[in-house]
Amino acid sequence: MSAALPAGKPASLRFAMQMALPLAIAAALLVVMYLHAPNYFRTNNLINVLIQTSSLGVMAIGLSFVMIGGGIDLSIPATMAFAAVLGAFTMPVAGIVPGILVMLATGLAVGLFNGAAVAFFGMTPFVVTLATMTVIGGATVWITDSQSVATFPEPFFDFFLSRPFGVPVAVMILVAVLAVASVVMNATGFGRALYAVGLNPKAARVARVNVPRVLLATYALSGALAGLAAVMLTARLGSASANLGNDGVVLDIVSACVVGGISIYGGAGRPIGAALGALFVILISNALNQLGISYFMNLVIKGCAIIAFVWLDRVSARIGQ
Amino acid sequence: MSVAAHETVLEMRAIDKAFSRVPALSGASFSARGGEVHALMGANGAGKSTMMNILGGVHQPDGGVIEIDGRPIAQASPRDARANGIGFVHQELNMLPSMTVAENVLIDEMPTRNGLVDKTRMRETTAALLVRLGCTFSPDDTVETLGMGDRQMVEIARALAGDPRILIFDEPTSSLSAREKRRLFAVIGKLREEGTAVIYITHFLDEIFAVCDRVTVMRDGRTVGSRAVGEVTSGEIVTMMLGDIHEADRLRVAAPAVGETVLEVRGLTRAGVLDRVDLRIAAGEIVGLWGLLGSGRTELLRSLVGLDPLDGGTIALRGAGVTPEALHRDVGFVTEDRRGEGLLLQQSVTRNISFANLDKVRGPLGTIDTRKERAFASGFVERLKIKLASLGQPVRTLSGGNQQKVVFARWLGTQPRLFFLDEPTRGLDVAAKTEILRLTVELAEAGAAVLIVSSELEELMRVCDRYLVIRRGRIVGERAATASREELLADIADTRPEAAA
Repeated sequence: MSAALPAGKPASLRFAMQMALPLAIAAALLVVMYLHAPNYFRTNNLINVLIQTSSLGVMAIGLSFVMIGGGIDLSIPATMAFAAVLGAFTMPVAGIVPGILVMLATGLAVGLFNGAAVAFFGMTPFVVTLATMTVIGGATVWITDSQSVATFPEPFFDFFLSRPFGVPVAVMILVAVLAVASVVMNATGFGRALYAVGLNPKAARVARVNVPRVLLATYALSGALAGLAAVMLTARLGSASANLGNDGVVLDIVSACVVGGISIYGGAGRPIGAALGALFVILISNALNQLGISYFMNLVIKGCAIIAFVWLDRVSARIGQ
Repeated sequence: MSVAAHETVLEMRAIDKAFSRVPALSGASFSARGGEVHALMGANGAGKSTMMNILGGVHQPDGGVIEIDGRPIAQASPRDARANGIGFVHQELNMLPSMTVAENVLIDEMPTRNGLVDKTRMRETTAALLVRLGCTFSPDDTVETLGMGDRQMVEIARALAGDPRILIFDEPTSSLSAREKRRLFAVIGKLREEGTAVIYITHFLDEIFAVCDRVTVMRDGRTVGSRAVGEVTSGEIVTMMLGDIHEADRLRVAAPAVGETVLEVRGLTRAGVLDRVDLRIAAGEIVGLWGLLGSGRTELLRSLVGLDPLDGGTIALRGAGVTPEALHRDVGFVTEDRRGEGLLLQQSVTRNISFANLDKVRGPLGTIDTRKERAFASGFVERLKIKLASLGQPVRTLSGGNQQKVVFARWLGTQPRLFFLDEPTRGLDVAAKTEILRLTVELAEAGAAVLIVSSELEELMRVCDRYLVIRRGRIVGERAATASREELLADIADTRPEAAA
């Protein structure tokens, strides 16, 4: 039994505490950038940072559903690349909208598969999604022959690269996904059940939660959002390839969630954290890039950051006991 | 082995132990003699496990003395206890299933030669122990190929490898068949002849009369007394366990059932746990499910709502047949493990109360309206007089009684016609217990049917309209509210092993 803790809103307090460190790091980094590379603050570069954040943010929000339910989904980038390639094949034949639908449906289907394996067959999320990642990654390379597919019609780019009122469509999509995800998690029965399953599946079951169905839904959502990210990313890059889902992307998504205060032990975190975490990851990569630090050093730094934040998560989980 | 039998080997005196300032033992004592089998009994939370964990070196006492052969000992770990000649056969068999019998038996002290494990010696030592236990399997078999009874023997061999003078068995029969049980009792008899002091923890009275020489009973962290098994009746043991029950002040006048039948169960069976259970509860009635721990009382409640599996039987809710999963939607279930299963400890009081009631706090868009949600929760906080600093406070920071009220509040919100209460007052202080019992009465008076389990007869006697006696997974009898304490105690103290209902 712990001593009396400050009452009020401990959940918000925990969130503020978790955000303090990444914000401080980001601020320090921006000061360094201001001194060494003032060009970094050109509007164009900043908008670019936001656009890069948007697809990563959408995938991180998808992962946050899975992680809050107590699982992990490593197959997100592979699913995204697979969906992108299938969409790229569809679009010139069937049109833009069917192409987009194929991307979303592909993501959803992979997610349902992962979810069924975890929820109904009790398989370990880490192993299931690692296997899915390998299978789908291999299939993507195989069907594309390791080539990029760049068969997208112009109107596809016209729409997704437009900036109504100066705001890029990709950023709008991120904001919309974030808003919906926040409402779902905080103010729906599904959201409440999700936190309960992540915190204590036994207690959730006693309280009449259909635990397998909740778990299935988290993986389905993360798959569908990977499909959405495929749409956003192909529009930005102009092509689809197996390389969209390279290993670095898994690291970025997991970093975004962990930095954003999504607990790897389940039951805690908010979608806004995942989105801010994605912004943080992109800022770091982008800044290190501009400072001329190599991509590989970049990986070293990101990996270390994950370890540091997982440790923080452990500490805050112990305090929360 | 020429240990002089019937000499006191172990003396534990004035043992104190508290966990997070909650006392588990206060001045408890225990003694054991060589060549006797000594039963240690007590209701849930009486302190027998803590006592034995202290003896086994798992916990360190806050105060008191442990003496072996009259010399005080100090031990900081199970390893020290082993060196002091104390062996522990744990209830859950902590084995390495994919390793061999010999490796499991000698895991604590692998014999080595030149720094490498000496397999030959390991096999020989284990084979000798197995012969002593009358086992026929080989030291080279892997544990996963053995049945439960044989695994138990491996666990005993492991304890014997340390050459203990005192051997603790913690509920050794809980997963054994009747035949395996007889074999275990034969082994225990042999250990007794060899002069070992055997300490036997159990919930089953018939086992005491089958294998034990003496019985010590604990209650509320103290030792109530020790008796020779030949000079005590099972009724006396139960009275020692449950305490002197004062003529209970009833919280309401018992009423015979007049309401419609809410729940009717026929032939509910789960292999080895529940045996053709029939029961019927009417609206407005509080029925006590009266039995000892391990009688199947908790398992019956859990199986009825699908939390545990079932092998057969039918359930009817207000006359219509339902599955356990469907019944769950109409039952307010207060489980015995409030912290592990009842609450989301890290979440706020509001969220714990509104959970399972979210349909009642929706706003115009169908999403949860947090203002309505708070109002809903605060209504129950006032009604049940839950003491808290703020509705946003995490439930884990509340006292036990207030936590239990939060569990009740959640289920009250769903307005179920049927409540299952499993040890609803466990771990609460006297005042909080009474409040929870009052609440139970209110549920019945509002027309709900209540099925309640408690280890404390005094509590059941304050609220029940009727008792169902459960023993070894069967409902073996029924008593009216007018039943006396003696009758009820006699009902569960009946030790005929497989009495016909």
